[in-house]
Amino acid sequence: MNKIEAKNVDVYYGAKQALFDINMDIEANKVTALIGPSGCGKSTFLRCLNRMNDVIDICKVSGVVKINDYDINQKDTDVVRLREKVGMIFQKPNPFPKTIYENISYGPEIHGIAQSKSEMDNIVEESLRKAALWEEVKDRIHEPGTGLSGGQQQRLCIARTISIKPEVILMDEPCSALDPIATAQIEELIDELRKEHTIIIVTHSMSQAARVSQNTGFFHLGKLIEVGSTDKIFKNPTQQQTQDYITGRFG
Amino acid sequence: MNKEERLIKRYKAEKRFQFYGKAAIFMALLFLLVFLTKIFSTGYTAFQKTWLVIPVNYNADLLYLDPDKKPTTEDINDADFYEFGIETFISLDPDASEDQIMELKKMFAFTFERELKYYLLDNLDSFGKTVDVKLTASDDLDQVFKGNYPRDIPENRRRASDYQLKIFDKLNEDGRVISEFNASFFTNADSREAELAGIASSFMGSLFSILVCLSIAFPVALLAAVYLEEFAPKNRFTDFIEVNINNLAAVPSIVFGLLGLGVLLAVFGLPRSTPLVGGITLSLMTLPTIIIAARASLKAVPPSIREAALAMGASRMQTTMHHTVPLALPGTLSGTIIGLAQALGETAPLILIGMVAFVNTIPGTPMDPAASLPVQIYIWAESAERGFVEKVSACIMVLLFFLIFMNLGAQLIRHKFEKKWN
Repeated sequence: MNKIEAKNVDVYYGAKQALFDINMDIEANKVTALIGPSGCGKSTFLRCLNRMNDVIDICKVSGVVKINDYDINQKDTDVVRLREKVGMIFQKPNPFPKTIYENISYGPEIHGIAQSKSEMDNIVEESLRKAALWEEVKDRIHEPGTGLSGGQQQRLCIARTISIKPEVILMDEPCSALDPIATAQIEELIDELRKEHTIIIVTHSMSQAARVSQNTGFFHLGKLIEVGSTDKIFKNPTQQQTQDYITGRFG
Repeated sequence: MNKEERLIKRYKAEKRFQFYGKAAIFMALLFLLVFLTKIFSTGYTAFQKTWLVIPVNYNADLLYLDPDKKPTTEDINDADFYEFGIETFISLDPDASEDQIMELKKMFAFTFERELKYYLLDNLDSFGKTVDVKLTASDDLDQVFKGNYPRDIPENRRRASDYQLKIFDKLNEDGRVISEFNASFFTNADSREAELAGIASSFMGSLFSILVCLSIAFPVALLAAVYLEEFAPKNRFTDFIEVNINNLAAVPSIVFGLLGLGVLLAVFGLPRSTPLVGGITLSLMTLPTIIIAARASLKAVPPSIREAALAMGASRMQTTMHHTVPLALPGTLSGTIIGLAQALGETAPLILIGMVAFVNTIPGTPMDPAASLPVQIYIWAESAERGFVEKVSACIMVLLFFLIFMNLGAQLIRHKFEKKWN
């Protein structure tokens, strides 16, 4: 079943067109990797899926993006409810300058998910456990989240995102600021999270795409060149451009 | 030029550059030192007050009271202490001529009646006895005693006459001239007599003005800054507003005074000379300072924090109120304090709205007439009497104290509450 269907998506930054007629289906409970050279529009496409492009004044998005068969690009779509369903992890870990506990309790609090203090405590612990961070921080959850290491901060951000149980998690190069060990931990985590969430990950590393994803889409110069199962894209691409990029001839 | 020479030249240039920097700092410190030395050396004597301790005979006859009955408070309040005071002064020199009696009287502050009366009210036992009473010396003798007045110039160019000085020296020899901490400088309102003038009225005036200014300028400026920075679309109109805010910050303060005079007093008919009007006028002046500080602090909050909150499904308002504004608050607050410190030292606009009036009562509300500390400095600096010279410096010291205190507070807030991201 397709969780997300994008049809004829065009994105403009002012007069410059960043995405050209993107059509892409994303399967539920799978990891979909978006690869391609810098500036190809993969992050822009990712941000179309939770309407984070709204934040950028000059950015105009057209086309249809359906999540659970509902078009999120309608005028009266409530972006707050959309983003409750579609969480996002950023390139650079961006915990709030608050305690670890407050970082995670923020989402459930503004969406009124926890009814009591003990329920909130449970959500915090569960989220941290799922993000494989609980054992490392359980003795200092009331200390600032910004005091953690880079890898821990990124897992904290993941814990924060899953605290409100989004159906989809968007990851924008989540490991680009991390060392190989932290990267391995996050990749392991992504595979675990796939059971409950649909994951779309933008990555620069083709090996990472090959390791974590089931499906892959290849972007180039604002166009979606090819999309299919990761196996097929890496072993047997139909497009010459994909072949060239995969084999490292450009990009 | 070979390599070695260029290296030496470069080292020299760097040394020279550092020397210029140090010289500049030294100059600035030197100016500050000269300024502070001048202020302190002229001002510190204002914190001392000279008293004359003279024997007073609280004789019933002199007060026209019944000697056999203990007087009630009302009796004492009704009694004539002026004549009684004159009689007391004559006792210092029983041979004094008519003119000399007037000179004797002028050795004391004109409040001698009150001082004599309150002493008796506080010490009813003294009735019918001769006791030593502490009376405020006139500002002329006060200045003589503090050494601020040369005694060797001809009598006609001196305010204290030879006769007064003779009596004064005699009292001094008997140890009857004492100098104590001048509490009345802090508790009295302004007065025409230098020995009685205090800063209580102008201090309260400044306090009320600053409070009015803060309560208007801070919320308005914060809301304006948050809207402009977080919500307003970036277009020509907002650019225009931004330019105007920056212009407003550069408008001379006296223009705001004219605005206060023309609009607040003339159109809205608010009471003249009040801290309310002063505070509103100052808030107009402080507004752009706080807006600029608040916008700068909001800009300094990394966009990643906003993105994090938005991606968690926080609305724009929640993102702003829960994350951006709290993070920008320390910077905004220190900007506010600096704006208020500016307002505290502002004189020109207050003069225009009439806060320069002579106020000898201490204001209880922002609606009562008052002066302010910098205006008080201006008023006293305009006064001819010698006794006000030290008051001017003392008032500057008080003002400087508050300015330093506020700026330190701003610094402290910046350091203590500054959140460090990443």
